[in-house]
Amino acid sequence: MTRTTKPDDGGPTATPAASLRFDAVQKRYPGNARPTIESLSIEVPAGEICVLVGPSGCGKTTAMRMVNRLIEPTAGQILIDGRPNTERAPADLRREIGYVIQQTGLFPHRTIAQNVATVPKLLGWSTDRIAARTTELLELVGLDPEFADRYPAQLSGGQRQRVGVARALAVDPPLMLMDEPFGAIDPITRERLQNEFLRLQAQVRRTIVFVTHDIDEAIKMGDRIAVMRPGGRLAQYATPAELLLSPADEFVEQFVGADRALKRLALGRVRDLELEEPTRVRYGDPVAGVREALRRAEVPYPLVIDADGRPLAWLDDDDLHGERIADGIGSEVAVVDRDDILRDAFSDVLQHRVQYAAVTDHRGVVIGILSADAVARELAPPGPAPVQPAEAHHGTGA
Amino acid sequence: MSAPLAALGLFGDAIDVIFHAREGRAGGAQVGGLSDFGAMAWTHLKVVLASVGLASLIALPLGLVLGHLRRGGLLAVTVSNVGRAVPSLALIAVFIAFLGVGFGNVTLALALLAIPPILTNTYVGVTQVDRDVIDAAKGQGLTGAQIVREIELPLALPLIFGGLRTSVVNVIATATIAPVAGVVTLGDPIFSQAVYGDAGKLAAAIVVALMAIVAEVGLGAAQRAVTPRPLRGTPGITRRARFLPTLRKGAATS
Ligand SMILES: Nc1ncnc2c1ncn2[C@@H]1O[C@H](COP(=O)(O)OP(=O)(O)OP(=O)(O)O)[C@@H](O)[C@H]1O
Ligand SMILES: [Mg+2]
Repeated sequence: MTRTTKPDDGGPTATPAASLRFDAVQKRYPGNARPTIESLSIEVPAGEICVLVGPSGCGKTTAMRMVNRLIEPTAGQILIDGRPNTERAPADLRREIGYVIQQTGLFPHRTIAQNVATVPKLLGWSTDRIAARTTELLELVGLDPEFADRYPAQLSGGQRQRVGVARALAVDPPLMLMDEPFGAIDPITRERLQNEFLRLQAQVRRTIVFVTHDIDEAIKMGDRIAVMRPGGRLAQYATPAELLLSPADEFVEQFVGADRALKRLALGRVRDLELEEPTRVRYGDPVAGVREALRRAEVPYPLVIDADGRPLAWLDDDDLHGERIADGIGSEVAVVDRDDILRDAFSDVLQHRVQYAAVTDHRGVVIGILSADAVARELAPPGPAPVQPAEAHHGTGA
Repeated sequence: MSAPLAALGLFGDAIDVIFHAREGRAGGAQVGGLSDFGAMAWTHLKVVLASVGLASLIALPLGLVLGHLRRGGLLAVTVSNVGRAVPSLALIAVFIAFLGVGFGNVTLALALLAIPPILTNTYVGVTQVDRDVIDAAKGQGLTGAQIVREIELPLALPLIFGGLRTSVVNVIATATIAPVAGVVTLGDPIFSQAVYGDAGKLAAAIVVALMAIVAEVGLGAAQRAVTPRPLRGTPGITRRARFLPTLRKGAATS
């Protein structure tokens, strides 16, 4: 949150994010018969994440590495904020472009703090400023300050990847390149890192080129997605929703996958849907009153809550006998957060006998009910019956 | 000779000749004693330092540059193989024949012997640095020279010191040939057995061996000291170098 920038200290100030443009870029490696990238033109607005996605060997890494001139294009040019990247000496250019790779490439003989401070040191920041920035960065990526004096070998893969991100963010570069940054990490940690990174990006708003071959990751991370096919040709460049709703051709459709309707669930949040109102009851309430309330209810089951409004249990017909609702009866409630993505929430709902989940706010108080039906409606937007391919649909997605 | 030393036979006699001068076997001048052995040891040390120093001056930069460029691996390996195939005695003989005797020529010949282990180990040490580390360094804007200085050199130091150690020990042993070329090292009592006798010959061998052991132990400690802390106690580096069969001796670091 607290990006300190001291203009008086000689280092760069909080630079605005840069825009990026590939202008008919071609790359042919010497000795290869065909160009790896035939002609690539993409425009990335400042502050957005552009994901390059495509099958292995289609030239994603090649395209990304031409931005900071680790690879020089054979033809065409790359413009950063409208200026060709060849205007600057490669080393100078690279110091202003964050660079994260899958294998992290942390310097094994340097501490975490020293690793993070690599570019600030190259730019001649003062020791005090470097120390302050390092502490701040470790916090930003969710690492305990005690890691500062450890060496890379003493960290887990996920922790090393966070250090890699912190190192790339060190001088708040206007542009970041990330090559499968979460590729070599177990699915659970990967998901957490993705979420944390998106939260971080919401704060720092950098322009990011993000390479992955995982379409799910692309949909989750990208503001825009460039689907590439072998030969470095652009198959489609679109927002995630557009990509899922109307794939440009068969290649994209196949790459996006047959379950692309389901994938749209990754785009929406629980809070985006219309929630249903539960019948809230407490243990000890008179059964007759509950039965009366249920007659007018959207959700046919009463939800037991505690004194603070937090969900306790679902009741069904069998539970509603006697004078008052007996203590502790009922079945387990699936609880989802209003900020959860729909896909995760849906799978939680499906795991329970009752196809409803209680939606809570950050305090855990029930604010509504998510039903499997509501999710299904979301999947089938209004329009022609969903027997035809999705090209016929004209929804905007979630 | 004192009584306890006498009890040790020839070995005791050898120790004695190091400390006390005695009449030469061939008659005439006094031989042995601290000043005689001290002078020979000093010459020995000088020729070792000069030749290993010269070798390092050539092999270190060459190995660093070739390793950084990841070029000339064949050269590095060939040099090390040739270096081990040519007997040092032959090398010295060739040098005397073509260049004549003297300290400089001996130094040059021994330097040639010292180059291969240093060159090979420096080259291997630099090339075994993780490519991703180099890529990340480049991607962050380190220049070529900065990558050599701040990444490749520190990470290669353990292997470089291993090569240095091999060279020093080899040269200490081989410098005993130097008297053939007119440089009076500790090899003199060995070649001039007629003057020094068996005891003198053994005494010189003992001093040379001690020198080699001190160098081995000292440089071993230095090697551990220069190993970046987090990499200590991980045998990965040594093991990888040993995988190259042609480097078996040149890359010895253990
Ligand atoms: N230095 C090189 N010399 C020759 N060909 C190369 C070189 N680097 C990459 N290529 C070729 O270019 C093509 C694209 O490689 P690139 O690494 O950009 O693919 P990618 O899309 O990143 O693949 P992956 O998902 O597997 O990382 C491949 O066919 C590869 O063999
Ligand atoms: Mg790649």
